[in-house]
Formats: sequence, structure tokens, C-alpha cells
Amino acid sequence: MTRLVDVPAQFDDRSFDQFAASYSRARAEGGRLLFDAHAVEWGSPYGLVGLLAAGHAARAAGGEPPLLTVPKSPEVLSYWGRAGFFLAARELFEIHGAQPRAKPAADSDVLLPVTAVRAAEDVHEVVGHIQQRATAILSSELGIDPKATMGFAMALSEACQNIVEHAGTGGWVAVQSYQWRRRLARRVVVIAVADAGVGFQASLAPTHGRRYGDRWNDATALEAALIQGVSRFRDPGRGQGLKGIRNYVSRWDGKLTIRSGTARIAIVPTWDDDVPLTEGLPPFPGSQVLLIVPEQKARH
Amino acid sequence: MIRSIDVSAVLHQAVRATYADLVTRATGRAVREHIEQAYAAAPAPVTRMDFGGVRCIDYSCADEIVAKLLRERIHVLVLRGCSEAHLEALTPVLEGHGLAVILERADGTLDGLGRRESAMALLDELVQAQLAARTAGGAVALVEA
Repeated sequence: MTRLVDVPAQFDDRSFDQFAASYSRARAEGGRLLFDAHAVEWGSPYGLVGLLAAGHAARAAGGEPPLLTVPKSPEVLSYWGRAGFFLAARELFEIHGAQPRAKPAADSDVLLPVTAVRAAEDVHEVVGHIQQRATAILSSELGIDPKATMGFAMALSEACQNIVEHAGTGGWVAVQSYQWRRRLARRVVVIAVADAGVGFQASLAPTHGRRYGDRWNDATALEAALIQGVSRFRDPGRGQGLKGIRNYVSRWDGKLTIRSGTARIAIVPTWDDDVPLTEGLPPFPGSQVLLIVPEQKARH
Repeated sequence: MIRSIDVSAVLHQAVRATYADLVTRATGRAVREHIEQAYAAAPAPVTRMDFGGVRCIDYSCADEIVAKLLRERIHVLVLRGCSEAHLEALTPVLEGHGLAVILERADGTLDGLGRRESAMALLDELVQAQLAARTAGGAVALVEA
């Protein structure tokens, strides 16, 4: 029996919960999953790595590999190809529909195509790529303050390391620039990281769950990690990575969200109307991180 | 006596010859252990770490290398060749741990980095040990070039 998972037409962090709900329902019903992306008109980096995480989780559940119907829009299909989505997706899905054959192009908007992260070497590759390609683009073309580019590689490194250090499995990262149309109306640079690993609650439970008692859940785990800086490691130096990302994002008027399980926590800038903590979301495996750095000068 | 360490060279020897970035905790651990072995063979009252060849340092490496060395091995640490990008990671890590190092600027003068009182005490310690001296302008610089 095939169960349908709808991929929203506008597939980004705002519609991700809708996607998670569809995924969750389909998984609960059992059977082979079909991820239907034929109607997608826009897929952000967050949507793309999230879709890969869902495919990974479905594949890891055993049985036949999940199915994926590609977007019918040639523009969307082309972008997903340039963003490196299909190179990763082919390892997870049985793909139905024409795929772009060309390798990801050196597109100035795609600062880092979808890249698998499994080990420290992958993080080195990612940081090296960004340092070589993106730093000049960030400051000259996107008007990102040169000082903001300094911490960008650091924030990217720490976001990827959460997969290596805590997820218990691999994940994906993508970095892209685009026009943020909601309220801000500026160009932004986005780092999206996703895995289908154990998630924050399970990762921190053995070392921190007991003191929360019945209050221990996805939301308290995210708060403990991002706000209090706790780590599953007892080493006093641990927990610095998310704190560092948070400080970087706050300093450059950016946004940070981390979704894990049924909750999402956010550092919300003035240009956004998101809320700091959301609970009771449709469950989704692993962790999904979104960093947004806006252009530092307004364009008219 | 001041022992000098080229951190970029250690990164190439301990991890991979092509790496230019100090990122990930695993890399930081490998670099630190390499430095610890060398330090154990020839300890010195002051250790100078040169970050000149390093492109990016993340918080994990700043903690795994600098903070851990200070907590467990090295009393006086002088950092040279640090860019503003390096300080983006080093400063919050040091301040978070309440640690301090001496920062050697491009012109050779010394300043504190991290917990202010501890850093000033380290500078005084260097001057008293005649490893550093106050210049005519009131700044402090290492005596050994």
C-alpha cells in the first residue's frame, strides 16, 4: 500500500509543519511512502534538506525505498538540480519524473549546494567551500557587512557539527541567497541544516531529563540547549556551538530556528513575526536548523 | 624562555596537510593532543601560539585547543597572528570559561584577551619575569623577538 505525503506548493519553513503533518499521518498508516512534489512552485533550502531528512527516515524504517514525484515546473526542477537536491535524493528515493542531468552549476545564489554531512571531514569540506566561494559574494554582492562574513563560516561549522556530534546519523546542509519577500524585502543568506537523527529530547534526556521530571519534552530540550547552553557531554566546554550561533545571529539582526520533534524554538529578529517557542507541532524526526542573515543595508 | 607553536603547521601534521580551517571538535582534539605531546617533551613557562596560517576557527576548536590547554597544561599563553575573525571565536570561549591569554598584536605590543583581571595579571607576570618590558609609550612587548 502506498501512502501519500504532500509536499506543499510553497515549501519552506512556514509550510514545513504542514509537510510534517502529512508525513506523520502517512507513516502512522504504514506502507510505502510517496512524496508528491509535483505541485511545488518554490522550495527553500530548508524545504529541500527537510525533504531529504524525511526520505532518510522513511528509508531507514526498512522495506522499499520511498517514492518521490518531481516538480512538474521546469523552473523549479532546474533550481532543485542547481541546488544539488537530486544528487542526494537519488540515494534515498525512487524518483519518478524527469531529472536535470547537469551537475550543480556555479550559481551565485547557490553558495553551497545540498551537501551530505556525516563526519568531521564533511564539515571541513563545507567550511572550505564557503570560505573560497561565498565570502566575496556575501560582502560585495549581497551587502553583508564584511564583519558579518567572519562569523558566517563559524556559524555554518557549528550548525553542521550538531549532526556529527549529536544526531547519531548523517544529515544535509545547504546555503543560498535569495530575496526575502515577507516584511523584510531584502536579500538574505540562508543556512539550512537537517537530519533525521535522534533529536534534542532523546539526545539530552540521559544527562538532563531527570531534573525536569514530567516537564521534559521537545520544547524543554530545545530551551535547555539553545537558551541554557546545556550539552549531553559533561565537559564544561560543551554547549558553545549553539550559543555561538545564537550570538552571531543576534548581532547581525538575523533569525535562528531549531525544530525538533514536536517543537520549534526561534531567535526572532524585529523584521519577522515568528514566535520564540512553538509546541504541539506535528512530529518530525531529528532536527532542522535554519539561520537567516539579512543584507545589512537596505536596497531601494 | 618562550616556546613557539605554529598552529597551522600542527593542523597539517596532526590532521590533514590540506586543511586551512580549525573547525570541528575532532580536529581541535587532534591538534591539542599534538601540542600537548610536544609541550610535555619540552615545557616552557610561556607558550606562544601563532595562528597566522589559520583561516577560520570555530567555537569548538577554540574551546578544544585554547581553553583546554589553559585549563590543563599551559599557564601563560600568548596568541599571535590572530585576525578579527579568530577573535570572534576565541573571545567568547575565553570569557565564558573565565580564562585569559595574552594577545600579541601585529606591532608586537601585548594586550589581554578574555577575563580582564587575569589578563592584566599575566602581563605583570611577564614583565616581572623579564620576558616582557614596558615600552616608552607605555605599552608592553615581549623581550624575545
